[in-house]
Amino acid sequence: MERIDKTVAVPTTTTSATGGDEDEVDLIPVRTYWMLVRQRFLQHRLAVIALFLMAGLIALAVIVPTLTGDAYTKTSLSKSLLPPSLSAPLGTNQIGQDMFLRLAKGLQTSLFIGFMAVAIIGAIGVTLGAIAGYYGGWIDNLIMRFVDIVLSLPIFFVILIIVSVLGKGSAFVVIIAIGLTGWTLACRLVRAEFLKLREADFVQAARALGATNRRIIARHILPAALAPVVVAATLGIADSVVAEAALSFLGFGISPPDASLGNLLKNFDEDLQVRPHLLVPPAVTIVLVVLAASFLGDGLRDALDPRQRVESK
Amino acid sequence: MATYVLRRLIQAIPILIGISVISFLIINLAPGDPTDRFRSGRVSPETIQNLIRLYGLDKPLPEQFVSWFTAFWQFPFRADAWGYSFVDGRPVVEKIFEKIPTTLELMGTSLIVTMVVSIPLGVLAAVKQYSPADKIITGLATIGYALPSFVLGLLLLYIFAIKLNLFPLFGRQSLGQEGNFPDYLRHLFLPVLSLAIQQIAGWSRYMRSSMLEVLQQDYVRTAKAKGLPASKVVYKHALRNALLPVITLLGLTLPSLLAGAAITESIFSWPGLGLLAVQSVTTNDFPVILAIVMIGGMLVLLGNLVADVLYGLVDPRIKY
Repeated sequence: MERIDKTVAVPTTTTSATGGDEDEVDLIPVRTYWMLVRQRFLQHRLAVIALFLMAGLIALAVIVPTLTGDAYTKTSLSKSLLPPSLSAPLGTNQIGQDMFLRLAKGLQTSLFIGFMAVAIIGAIGVTLGAIAGYYGGWIDNLIMRFVDIVLSLPIFFVILIIVSVLGKGSAFVVIIAIGLTGWTLACRLVRAEFLKLREADFVQAARALGATNRRIIARHILPAALAPVVVAATLGIADSVVAEAALSFLGFGISPPDASLGNLLKNFDEDLQVRPHLLVPPAVTIVLVVLAASFLGDGLRDALDPRQRVESK
Repeated sequence: MATYVLRRLIQAIPILIGISVISFLIINLAPGDPTDRFRSGRVSPETIQNLIRLYGLDKPLPEQFVSWFTAFWQFPFRADAWGYSFVDGRPVVEKIFEKIPTTLELMGTSLIVTMVVSIPLGVLAAVKQYSPADKIITGLATIGYALPSFVLGLLLLYIFAIKLNLFPLFGRQSLGQEGNFPDYLRHLFLPVLSLAIQQIAGWSRYMRSSMLEVLQQDYVRTAKAKGLPASKVVYKHALRNALLPVITLLGLTLPSLLAGAAITESIFSWPGLGLLAVQSVTTNDFPVILAIVMIGGMLVLLGNLVADVLYGLVDPRIKY
């Protein structure tokens, strides 16, 4: 069993999988799949920058709100609309709230929603896609027709409705709404990989050794099928953050005194004319999150690319 | 061809039923009912009971669904097919159909702008691959793609409406300027630009990769080898084939335009379907929301069908 697993995770180690040619392994430096992935990823300059950018954004979102607690909700009329200063680097809004603290907290909320929504998308998409691709037949048909229906829904409106029906202003509801509507791409990707792999030699071998379907799906095919899902999930973070921001921007998502990147832009019709500087930091931050996630996704796609994996075999 | 279209339309029926069931269920997840807003004391309980009976809210859910669904498809013949708005009591059919032209103006113009701008840009980037022009185009496309529609909308409003004061801040017509065409064009400009920039970003990248692929084909090399001028090879031989996949994009763009329209119309107060959708969700105007979701679903299916049919029309290799 272990050996079969290894050929999946380490397809690049020359011929060691057959177990006989130990000499050859000594001649050619052994580079595992993950070593190659890391190497290819590091060659992608923008992806490396994006990785640092994302790490920086996450650090900001975690550290500042943890240190300052709920100071981001504190209002003070005497501190209304202060220009940027040392104590409040981004100034304050009409009701004297520190915009830097609100930005950090908003980033935290938005990233949290983005990551959680992607987790739900991944869980639903991978489960349904694996079942559809592995078993095929009527169950595949059923799942794929369901995918067709969800794909035909005007997704953004459906998210709006779910959020307004289940309760505006709750991060939990926003996560559910984005998660329940966004899993179709992941499902299709996983299904395609499972269709391709379910008759592969290593799967046949596992089956011959008496592995149960559940074990074959979870331990043998899934690790080999995850690469496109990881890429899709990274790109999905950007989509989910934008979806949350759009919801909150329209007044359906997170509402004050809570902060999210979208609701910091909510008063745009007034702010744009009188105090446009308040809108710049949240807008720039959203764009940075999207750029970081998409370059990270591009880099991962190149690094995990199965075609390159075949070439180096 | 006709049988193909017919078959696709028949295949669309179960999907449409699925869309109806899902949207109907989601709307009915709401705790309470739409008459809750009247329970303030000023409206008598009898009136509320009458309202509930009038809207059929006292019936079991499956029965409500069936009566809503069968009535829905009679919309070309009955003004009340989609029910009445909970907010102003007007027939939903009327409320929606008066907004459709406004939204089509916005979406149609954006689509034309998108095609006119992105196809030449994509071709240029592909023909001069890795040149400074290519790098600038792909760079701008990446940034345009990363700008969410509301950030883009705000940016355009700030630059063009507030700082430069070239275009109006919101609406479709200035007060007292009804029928003034230049005024209407000035109102249309920013929303169209905001919707189009994102589409242009996606389309030009797509056009570039499609063109790059075609330029590597043998027949393009043959055309070059027999000494045809480069412009003829690019525009007559390569472009025609590179445009084929873009047609598919046309079908896929419709739903994203509709979603983009909801946000763009809200920012620019453009009185179309998207703004109506957002307002109806705010006021829990269920009949209007349901109808808009159904229209959105039909638009997606229609977009896919149109794309497939167009593909068959322009590509003689495709047979149905």
